[in-house]
Amino acid sequence: MPPIDPVFLIAAGVTVGAGALVVSLRNPVHAAISMLAAFLGLAVIYLRLGAPFLAAIHVLVYTGAILVLFLFVIMMLNLKPDELGVEYPLKIRIGIAALCGGLFALIALPLLQDHRELPKQAPPGFGTVESVGTALFNEYALAFELISVLIMVAVFAGVLLAKRKL
Amino acid sequence: MISHYLIVSAALFAIGAFGVLARRNLLIILMSVEIMLNGVNVALLAFARLHGNTQGQVFVLMVMGVAAAEVSVGLAILIAVFRNRKTVDTGDLKSLQG
Repeated sequence: MPPIDPVFLIAAGVTVGAGALVVSLRNPVHAAISMLAAFLGLAVIYLRLGAPFLAAIHVLVYTGAILVLFLFVIMMLNLKPDELGVEYPLKIRIGIAALCGGLFALIALPLLQDHRELPKQAPPGFGTVESVGTALFNEYALAFELISVLIMVAVFAGVLLAKRKL
Repeated sequence: MISHYLIVSAALFAIGAFGVLARRNLLIILMSVEIMLNGVNVALLAFARLHGNTQGQVFVLMVMGVAAAEVSVGLAILIAVFRNRKTVDTGDLKSLQG
């Protein structure tokens, strides 16, 4: 068995560890900062998978827009510790953790039999802006247009829902 | 090996699912949904790299667009709920329970 790529190992450890922190920390600000670590680890994984363009977009969209939006909302709500709500009792949470561990095992155990190696060298031009853009604007032009409609609807919905009085 | 990447993907998805099911803070639930979507992205990119096909990367872009739309609407709903009910706890939101 060939050794595991150490860069991937570190990035995966950071991502999964920070992801576990996001779902376990009580303070939403701490959870958002852990999510930042998870997203940066994910960007490294994307780079290892030969997707430099998507790694850049990931950092821009997730840490630049989504995470900042989360932090903005957290600070706007300004929740006191007693407003954070009551979590489920520990017994229920352990049960759900077992359920999700089972889900993980269900996916991961068959994967242990999968010994396919990634090709040493990606095809030339793989993952560049040019190749992604060519596929996006030729084969998937309709999907691209639909996404733009979806985002426009989301903009309207955001304004409509968050506005105190129209 | 591709299975390493897929195992990370499955782990992220399971962690996100746990967050959605076991937490009651709406903010954390939305963050968990983001983590689940990212787990799927890792799987898409791993398969794109395995087959040397760019289409997987295009779909990751689509997932990112949907995630951005979802989080903006979700947070707007969260603000509206907090303004009316002064709570972000899903356990307190049971007016539809009958």
